[in-house]
Amino acid sequence: MWEFLELIENSSFSHWLRESPSLLAYPTVLALHAIGMAFLVGLNTMIALRVLGFARGIPLAPMNKLFPVMFVGFWVNAVSGLMLTALQAINFMSNPTFYIKMTAVGAAILCLRSLRTTVFISGAAAEDQRLTGRAKVLAVSSLSLWLIAIVSGRLIAYSFYVSWRTAVAVVIALTVFLIVRFIGARVIAPSTSDARLGVSPSTAIK
Amino acid sequence: MESTLRYLLDWPAFDLFVTQNAWAWPLAETAHFIGLILLIGAVGLFDLRILGLAKQIPIAPLRRLLPWGVFGFSLCVLSGMTFVAAIPSNFGTHPYNVLTTNVWLQLKLLFILLAGLNLAAFYVTGMSRAVESLRANDDAPLLARGIAGVSVFLWAGVIYLGRLIPWDVG
Repeated sequence: MWEFLELIENSSFSHWLRESPSLLAYPTVLALHAIGMAFLVGLNTMIALRVLGFARGIPLAPMNKLFPVMFVGFWVNAVSGLMLTALQAINFMSNPTFYIKMTAVGAAILCLRSLRTTVFISGAAAEDQRLTGRAKVLAVSSLSLWLIAIVSGRLIAYSFYVSWRTAVAVVIALTVFLIVRFIGARVIAPSTSDARLGVSPSTAIK
Repeated sequence: MESTLRYLLDWPAFDLFVTQNAWAWPLAETAHFIGLILLIGAVGLFDLRILGLAKQIPIAPLRRLLPWGVFGFSLCVLSGMTFVAAIPSNFGTHPYNVLTTNVWLQLKLLFILLAGLNLAAFYVTGMSRAVESLRANDDAPLLARGIAGVSVFLWAGVIYLGRLIPWDVG
């Protein structure tokens, strides 16, 4: 196993990617990994927010058309991610944080697939009815899993000590955000909740 | 000018805080990623609809997602300012030197400025109002499509240029 990883790490491709002074080598692969993430996770987040009841005026069914863009984002990241792993195969494969990230990414993709089946393929979206609890659970799960994937992906580059501290800091920051966003908003302006939802769903789907 | 900028960019106590708390820098990096995801998610979705993707969505309700994009952008600005303020202890140089020599950072800031001007153009040319009335399956005016396309290009460019900043050519 380790010999194989060493082989990958020392391949001429890895050497070129690592050592080429060209900005089109390593930096561009890293940048593509960030851009792919932005489109895949960004659109996933917007669909999840809509399923959770934000911007209810948006008809859900046509959001199914966003999946091809997310597929492109996914494949850009699968390919760029493989290239980045090949660079430091041994380093990554012996890093627990890397496994946390990959598990979270895999689970997030499975969640997204289930969400698509539950909401779009089943026809629930077209009827524009109240979504099932299952759809909301899947939406929250996919958001949480992407958060874990992104935080752990970033922390692959850090030591266990720093990673642990950062993970705690992220949880605290997220808790503060949720308290301010949902409890705070209700305390300060209880009447604005309807305005946030957007226009009523009608005339949406032809 | 230089001394003023050097003074304005100097935050020794904040710099020290980031140095002494190992989690501060990676937390800012994480916030930067989450911010760009919300920005691309909300603004990208709006732009893609104007460009003709998922045309069955009327434009007006899509605006309800834009505050998430604004929130994402704010996260990026705050975390980005953290990076700049913590330059001295992380890279042993003054932020002023980085801002004046790092071409990628300069290009990134230029792209953000252009994205801002593009957004202003969206309002000034009346396109913002023109798309407001678009119902399901309506096509956006050509100018609105152009502005939306430029927006997607510029924001993707901002991410690309941002990722190049560590490869300092200055």
